[in-house]
Amino acid sequence: MLYALLIYEDETVYGPNKEGPAMDAIRPRHIALVRELGAKRIGGSGLKSVKLATTIRTDNGRQTVHDGPFAETKEQLGGFYLIDVADLDEALAIARRVPLTAHGAIEVRPVIPPPPGGYEAQ
Amino acid sequence: MTGAALDAAARASGARIIAALAARYRDLDLAEDGFAEACARAAERWPGDGIPRAPAAWLYRTADRAVLDALRRRSRRERPAPVAPEPVDPGPTAEELMLDDALLIPDERLRLIFVCCHPAVAADARAALTLRLVCGLTVAEIARAFLLAEPTLTQRLVRAKRKIAEAGVPFEVPGPAAWPERLEAVLQTLEIAYAKAHEDAAGAGPHAGYGREMLDLTRVLAELLPDEPEVLALAALVRYAEARRPARLDATGAMVPLSEQDPTLWNRALIDAADAYLNQAAARPTHGRRRWQAALHATWCRRRNLDEPAPWPEILALYDDALRLGDDPVVRLNRAVALAEVAGPAAALAEVEGLDAERFRSFAPYHAVRADLLRRTGRLDEARSAYGAVLALDPAPAERLWLERRLASLGTV
Repeated sequence: MLYALLIYEDETVYGPNKEGPAMDAIRPRHIALVRELGAKRIGGSGLKSVKLATTIRTDNGRQTVHDGPFAETKEQLGGFYLIDVADLDEALAIARRVPLTAHGAIEVRPVIPPPPGGYEAQ
Repeated sequence: MTGAALDAAARASGARIIAALAARYRDLDLAEDGFAEACARAAERWPGDGIPRAPAAWLYRTADRAVLDALRRRSRRERPAPVAPEPVDPGPTAEELMLDDALLIPDERLRLIFVCCHPAVAADARAALTLRLVCGLTVAEIARAFLLAEPTLTQRLVRAKRKIAEAGVPFEVPGPAAWPERLEAVLQTLEIAYAKAHEDAAGAGPHAGYGREMLDLTRVLAELLPDEPEVLALAALVRYAEARRPARLDATGAMVPLSEQDPTLWNRALIDAADAYLNQAAARPTHGRRRWQAALHATWCRRRNLDEPAPWPEILALYDDALRLGDDPVVRLNRAVALAEVAGPAAALAEVEGLDAERFRSFAPYHAVRADLLRRTGRLDEARSAYGAVLALDPAPAERLWLERRLASLGTV
């Protein structure tokens, strides 16, 4: 099954633009995890600072563009892994090992599988 | 003859067949429906074909085929099949669960309980789901135990099953590292299952076997987790309660209230075993309520004969302690019983009338306590209707007989 592991953290620990020493320290740990996951990792990436986020809201068909992330909270979506594993327990075991610098959370969400034959065949 | 064999096989192996199917197909509804279908087919065929050599294995194979049939029908209906669940490799644990009749040992059931109490299932549904799946309690019975309306519980179960199916929650026996976070739900499951056995003094109802089984399960659990005070307290509590079973019925088959039971009939060996668990628990810090409950039972079980006064003042003091830890309507209800003996029925009735009657609507002990207090304060008409309310909740035969006698003793108007 496909799962997204969503990394929520207080990004201020990484310094402005997420380029501080904390990022230098955690990067090798992500690289190690990615190596270890091998083919189980289908995709994923870190995301740049929420300061660079832009949100398009749609209310009753009317779209508005806002500066900033979807929700203003202390902990923000800072990156994600997309993995293909046997079941939730395996996904949770991997989620426990996703490195965090500060307090934070990894949300594990099953991914809706593509339609039979893939999106291209539709 | 075949009907009894089917009942026995279904009761003994139903839980592990359903769990094995749930592990294989990750869908509890499919698993339960498949098992029901297998029982229906057995009822049709066994009378003619004879009872199979391994009834549990027969039921498993038939249920498995029924699930596959249902999946085929579903995928025909929903073409092009969007996400028809594929059978998942169940691994050796599920195979063990279904094939070996020798695995009807008590800790096999305990393993299933740990399997079902997965922390990815919402906390308010874990024990309920396990009671439904492993212990075979009905939704109505579980709703009553949790003081919930049936539709509320049904909703929680539906949500939990959906999460299990769609988030890929596996049905695998967890290793020791996963035990602590599942423990509270496991303990809740065991104590509610035991309460079902305990509320049936005659031990003749469908959950009667749980009493004996729970002695084994709590022993195994205490061996697995010897440093968990709540586990030790539950092991003690089950022993204190089971120790009194020989004194719980009178010669006519009616229940005998705790304060009127002859302590010389109690099983002293079980009480000693309970004391040992409770002492073991007392050596460890805990804020749990089970140790307190075990202490309540211990207080009763120290009584040696009917000439000794019943320990009502100590019991009342223990309930007061419990209320200091946190308010709980069930504790307040039970405290009222002790209060009636210490301060008189009028004071106790005032306490009971202060509880939320709506919340207790399907909770038999509430109506029973209220009926007794109304009787003793001379409000006989109200007492009659309160006895009627308990009897309407379908008590076990021994309890029914006792209640009917109490009701009859009020006379007719």
